Amino acid sequence: MNRRVVITGVGAICALGHDARAVWQGMREGRSAIAPLAGFESQDMRVKVAAQVRDFDPAAHFDSKKLILLDRVSQFALVAAREAVAQSGLDFAQGNLSQRSACVVGTGTGGEVTNDECSKRLYGEGNPRLHPLSIVRRMMSAPASQVSIEFGITGPSFAVSSACASANHAFAQASALVRAGVADVALAGGTEACLTLGVLRAWEAMRVLADDTCRPFCKQRRGLVLGEGAGMIVLEDFDHARARGADILAEFAGAGMSADAGDIVMPSDVGAARAMTAALRDAQLAPADIDYINAHGTATPANDPTETRAIHMALGDHAAKVAVSSTKSVHGHALGAAGALEIVAAIGALRDGVIPPTANFIDPDPECDLDYVPNAAREAPVRAVLSNAFAFGGLNAVVALKRAS
Amino acid sequence: MSEDVRQTVFSIIAKEAGIDEGKVTLDSTLKDLEIPSLDAIQIIFEIEDHFKIQMPDRDPNFDTESVKGLVETVEKLLADKAANPPAPDNATPPAPPAA
Repeated sequence: MNRRVVITGVGAICALGHDARAVWQGMREGRSAIAPLAGFESQDMRVKVAAQVRDFDPAAHFDSKKLILLDRVSQFALVAAREAVAQSGLDFAQGNLSQRSACVVGTGTGGEVTNDECSKRLYGEGNPRLHPLSIVRRMMSAPASQVSIEFGITGPSFAVSSACASANHAFAQASALVRAGVADVALAGGTEACLTLGVLRAWEAMRVLADDTCRPFCKQRRGLVLGEGAGMIVLEDFDHARARGADILAEFAGAGMSADAGDIVMPSDVGAARAMTAALRDAQLAPADIDYINAHGTATPANDPTETRAIHMALGDHAAKVAVSSTKSVHGHALGAAGALEIVAAIGALRDGVIPPTANFIDPDPECDLDYVPNAAREAPVRAVLSNAFAFGGLNAVVALKRAS
Repeated sequence: MSEDVRQTVFSIIAKEAGIDEGKVTLDSTLKDLEIPSLDAIQIIFEIEDHFKIQMPDRDPNFDTESVKGLVETVEKLLADKAANPPAPDNATPPAPPAA
């Protein structure tokens, strides 16, 4: 079976806002939500800036009985999932939809807030008594479980983890389930709540964080800026969506995955290009069909030239014509949620015919010679999009979306 | 240039990169020595730990910087530290107990 897969709902939360509309609006405007790191004032942090989710009141979303079960990473996933499901108009209690639905959620770090609380109690306070719900909050699969419980999804449900490519790998798995007829609907996405003292300190030690802001592909770039949040989409069999008259946001045309099998941190242009080529092949798209690439674009010294070379390898002559931007310049790098936030940009570009810019751009880097749509959005017809995610450890996943037809 | 600092930096580079200390010279770059970025990060970490200093967060020329540049940076930071000793409240944390 090889069914067409479409997107009928999208939800998101990140530093740009608490729903997909606000997130897309911020991306279009190139309005950077990167700000001085808050909440760690008592620490002498080398991390100066981050893209934190602000003004988020969990109690406004969950009652106390539910909230006690949820790490911040699951809270984000649920907020985004509720929005996506509401937009899709699906009712999982209808017919056998519950059993015919899947749930796949990517996360890179899992329940780090809970992990941090446990460590603080155990080592900082010398208190061996940890909260009895610590395990169910922090397990990597907690967001997937919580989303399946929330909507009564009883088909295949699991977590996917591949660091910064987790969300795109989750989309690839979920779409494969729908395409193959294992499920008619799949709720898929990525979530991350990684801005804890322990995680921040570990990133500091790697010396890849910018101290000013995130400037992808630009000569003055100084590294990545960490972010957090979640994005979820409803993937649906095309015939299923059409039969119920659903509003189709975009077609999920295909996905490509590869592993560099090389260095644990240094990215490989060949590995990245293989994932992009695989996505094009899977989506039955030619390079010339692609009007926009939402780049991985972390703004590290290593990623941006490597990704630029990979785009040349995968797209050939068309690389010089395609618009490429990194929205990490406005929402930071949300690790396992990165691809899930960036699919909001892909869907927005296809629907509105607007390419979101690479914000904070000053001067071009001679090693990065593509059209990065610096600082200002561009109106252009967008027929198909690639969205890249390349993780530490060389795990690559690229998704291809087409305009709904 | 302090012979002590030079010697210590050489030995940290050799140990972390797993190379013969005899190969390390002041003029060699990390690239010449074929030291990958992950080893370079560990070298900086060990230097910071040893001298109780904080190196500049990220040098864009990390790959091309010579060992001499590294030694000079350490010496400058040590001189700064000697000139501006930290206030007692901010004293460097005690060394962890020997393992």
